[in-house]
Amino acid sequence: MSPWIQRAGAVYARLARAFPGDFRAVCGDGLEQLGEDVVPLVWREDGTVGLVRLFADLACRLPTEYISTWLHVIEEAAMNADLFEGTWKSNQQAQWDPKYTPEQACLRFEVTDDGYLLVAYGIKDGQAVAERPTKIAADGRRRPLVDLNGRPIPGVPPGAMATGSRPDRWTLEGRVEVDGKTLGAGTYRVSEDGKTLTVTSEGVGQKGPFKVVATFDRVVPDPYAAR
Amino acid sequence: MVRRRPEQFLPLKTNWFHIMLSLVGGGQHGYRIMQEVRERTDGKVRLWPATLYGSLKRLIQSGLIVESDERPAAEFDDERRRYYELTALGRQVLDLESERLKDLVRMLHARRRQESRS
Repeated sequence: MSPWIQRAGAVYARLARAFPGDFRAVCGDGLEQLGEDVVPLVWREDGTVGLVRLFADLACRLPTEYISTWLHVIEEAAMNADLFEGTWKSNQQAQWDPKYTPEQACLRFEVTDDGYLLVAYGIKDGQAVAERPTKIAADGRRRPLVDLNGRPIPGVPPGAMATGSRPDRWTLEGRVEVDGKTLGAGTYRVSEDGKTLTVTSEGVGQKGPFKVVATFDRVVPDPYAAR
Repeated sequence: MVRRRPEQFLPLKTNWFHIMLSLVGGGQHGYRIMQEVRERTDGKVRLWPATLYGSLKRLIQSGLIVESDERPAAEFDDERRRYYELTALGRQVLDLESERLKDLVRMLHARRRQESRS
């Protein structure tokens, strides 16, 4: 391969790295790699015209992706507050699984850079209990299911992968899979008035299969909000 | 990131349709998708890398495809590559789109038959 083409590949990869963070968060370095691989091929097959088209494609897409990112930021800023953020307390309409019935349950969603930190706590058998805080990154990507320090979680089979998605403004979905089999899946849906959260959760836990449909009311004012 | 009902994705954008069609047989990486679309359409449709990855990003965000952790056997695998596969929603959308296209072709044939009779 001529040094000139090698340099063109390197320039392509460098330009590809200039794509916005949200693009790179989803696509990783795929574009850089593909571009670098494709430069010699395009040169061989289509010559200068091909290379011009290859770089034109990149040059057109770059502003488009930035505009899309900015629009998303503006849209987020235009929303009053995050619908999920805050503390939620279970109400009487909850249908708990008999094996997992707490006297009281609370959920707290905290907004993080890449999604939410979910903390579940409550009272069971007269004792205060708290579940391990969970990260929900609602970007549709699969990630190893580990604790907040990146360590394996006791009781979670090795290789478990978690996926989070935000189908719409009011809904968060989470799923845990091992070897293509679903271990558990949950949906968190906030009502249109933002006052009620419905949690549907189904899967196999340490005590066997479970299914929960629980509704939570927003705690106002939020007891943990910064004053 | 708005996930809609399957029928709300119709008609599918041409690039999306071709990418999803490439994933029907299983997970593929970006380079293979690009090649397959080009071969399948005799070069009439060419997905350039940035366009391809822009579409992949939107397909992921729409819940139609997902990054796959299943990889081919080591001898066929390129560990630098990311593989993508259709989701259940993606398959549903693709089925609906092919039905829609079939209906259009059926309609066109019916019109032509009508025309030739009159």
